[in-house]
Amino acid sequence: MSNRLFQSVVHQMRDAVDRTIGVIDETYTVVACSDLGKIGENLEVSLMHGAAESEPFVSGRYTYKPFGTPQHPEYMIFVEGTDVEAARYCSILAVSLASIKFYYDENYDRGNFIKNIILDNILPGDIYLKARELRFNSDVTRTVLLIRVASKNDVSVYDIIGNLFPDKTKDFVINISETDIALVKETKQGVSSETITKLANSIVDTLSGEFYTQVSVGIGTTVSSLKDLARSFKEAQVSLEVGKVFDTEKSIVSYDNLGIARLIYQLPTTLCETFLREVFKKGSIDSLDQETLFTIQRFFENNLNVSETSRKLFVHRNTLVYRLEKIRKITGLDLREFDHAIVFKIALMVKKYLKSNPVKY
Amino acid sequence: MASLSLRNIYKKYPGGVVAVSDFNLEIKDKEFIILVGPSGCGKSTTLRMVAGLEEISSGELYIGDRLVNDVAPKDRDIAMVFQNYALYPHMTVFDNMAFGLKLRKTSKDEIKRRVEEAARILDIEHLLERKPKALSGGQRQRVALGRAIVREPKVFLLDEPLSNLDAKLRAQMRTEITKLHQRLGTTFIYVTHDQTEAMTMGTRIVVMKDGFIQQVDAPQKLYEFPCNLFVAGFIGSPQMNFIEAKVLKENDDFFVEFGSEDTKTRAGVKYQIKLPASKNKDNCLEAYVDKEVIFGIRPEHVHNEPELVANLPDGIVEANVEVTELMGAETYLYMNCEGQAINARVDPSSTARAGDTIKIAIDPAKIHIFDKDTEKTICN
Repeated sequence: MSNRLFQSVVHQMRDAVDRTIGVIDETYTVVACSDLGKIGENLEVSLMHGAAESEPFVSGRYTYKPFGTPQHPEYMIFVEGTDVEAARYCSILAVSLASIKFYYDENYDRGNFIKNIILDNILPGDIYLKARELRFNSDVTRTVLLIRVASKNDVSVYDIIGNLFPDKTKDFVINISETDIALVKETKQGVSSETITKLANSIVDTLSGEFYTQVSVGIGTTVSSLKDLARSFKEAQVSLEVGKVFDTEKSIVSYDNLGIARLIYQLPTTLCETFLREVFKKGSIDSLDQETLFTIQRFFENNLNVSETSRKLFVHRNTLVYRLEKIRKITGLDLREFDHAIVFKIALMVKKYLKSNPVKY
Repeated sequence: MASLSLRNIYKKYPGGVVAVSDFNLEIKDKEFIILVGPSGCGKSTTLRMVAGLEEISSGELYIGDRLVNDVAPKDRDIAMVFQNYALYPHMTVFDNMAFGLKLRKTSKDEIKRRVEEAARILDIEHLLERKPKALSGGQRQRVALGRAIVREPKVFLLDEPLSNLDAKLRAQMRTEITKLHQRLGTTFIYVTHDQTEAMTMGTRIVVMKDGFIQQVDAPQKLYEFPCNLFVAGFIGSPQMNFIEAKVLKENDDFFVEFGSEDTKTRAGVKYQIKLPASKNKDNCLEAYVDKEVIFGIRPEHVHNEPELVANLPDGIVEANVEVTELMGAETYLYMNCEGQAINARVDPSSTARAGDTIKIAIDPAKIHIFDKDTEKTICN
């Protein structure tokens, strides 16, 4: 779409500029030119890394100037000649084309369209009309990943994600808030959740390894229609929220993998409070100290096996049995029994949920 | 270049999970330290605490003489390489390596100097104009390393950087990283779950399990003198054989006895292996007489070559061969000896075949004995 716009401007300027002018894309292919025969040709441009990238530079017979997004200029204007005048033409044309591109993007931007979908800012009926207008491929599946910046840094996470997924026809990076960035990623049909998790891992690792920035990623389910992107986005949001409560040590939480936390997160708080009162009739869970709770955690991790847990805790078996007895006296629950153990496990999760200050209802 | 000091480091998550407990380690300047252990043992968490990506719950971390617990990651003078690195697909190798520096507003001349220097060290100067899709797996990995090198850090932190590579490339990159360490002369901390990587690369290895350090030592010492059953089993491939046995004493001689003999029916066989006097250092075996222990023997110390069997009359047992694996330079025999699995690494000329009952010799001098309850080493 932009190419047609560029060609139109270049064509109009052809008479005003007495030399060949045109635009090349990231692959150095001519996408618009005053000499129509050149369109589709590949120009050999050798970039000078030392030079300031926003300034015009000379390579071969032409003078070039990049334009587009400041961090990642997608296009370059080229003007025949290596003299000062060519550089001046370049600068003028770059300003003009960049402004037109900006105006065009604002009105017909696919990114904006996707943003409106995931934020429910567009009527469902309009989605298909606009999608057809913007020539969206409806045969592909997409997944929404929500990236939340945990530690502030002086780098722009949005720019980095944009550079990791630069194909603007397939992937969309959208700034949701100061801390949240959504990535709508085109995926292959039947993509596995492991592949998406690996992708999320690469985002987390690149940001922490390269830029010392900690992020957590929520992954929504993979959807096949554009209108379902809003659902995938909400799922990614829920994953992050649930992860914050129940999986504090994890940086990647997938909606497909929330387990029992998914159920507890949706329970009314009043019901949760009633449940806790019922379970801990004899005494409050708060009367259990940190060491006891740690012991319980390890006991669950070791499948209620007393010998194994005592070995892991470096305590004598009898010490552990004594601690379990103490818990039984306080709570009335014997954790060595499966039924009691599962009630206690759920009660601990409910407690965690209530501690996270959910909306009370 | 810098030394590191980790003192009583703990990592406790708000949910109650304790990932690292009482971690104490002194890392010397220019050392290549490996953190190794199974998944979930806390090695990556420890590395991330050193990096500043995880808060230290308690304890002190010094880089050089500076306490860095509250220092931001970017000010710790470290660089990290992770398993799931991603390159910027639309950028050239040069730009991929320069991108981080550009965002940190490093001058163009300095960026050029650092990238070219890193490319020279990694031998990728000829690839600088290429884009990631035109690179092989190994070349991409080098670019990822290059991104860390251009920062010229005091400490390199590598978290399973080779896990995504195939076996051949992994072996090649192991050597490359070792050479890189020698060339850069910087402190390296390397996390892996692969004991081969640990044994071949590090100057010292830290074996971890369940958030605790099990043992810290040079690779060879770790292999020969494991401090407990876990370290003995984790280090070495194929794994050390573990056999349930009983310690016996006759006169001043100690034996390990194992087998399947039923005390009532007398069915089955019991074997006794006489231990050399050196195993009873500080009279350590005395307390275990008539008690159950676990004895360990590495597969290379179980022999079926006739001349070696003849030389080890105190350690001969009979075993049924279940599977043989010819590896080229050696053959692995997977056997069953009175219900206990024993693996041996023998000469490839061995004629033992599956189904055979053969005589094997366990070298008594190489036996390790472990306490069955505490799993600690009694003698090596």
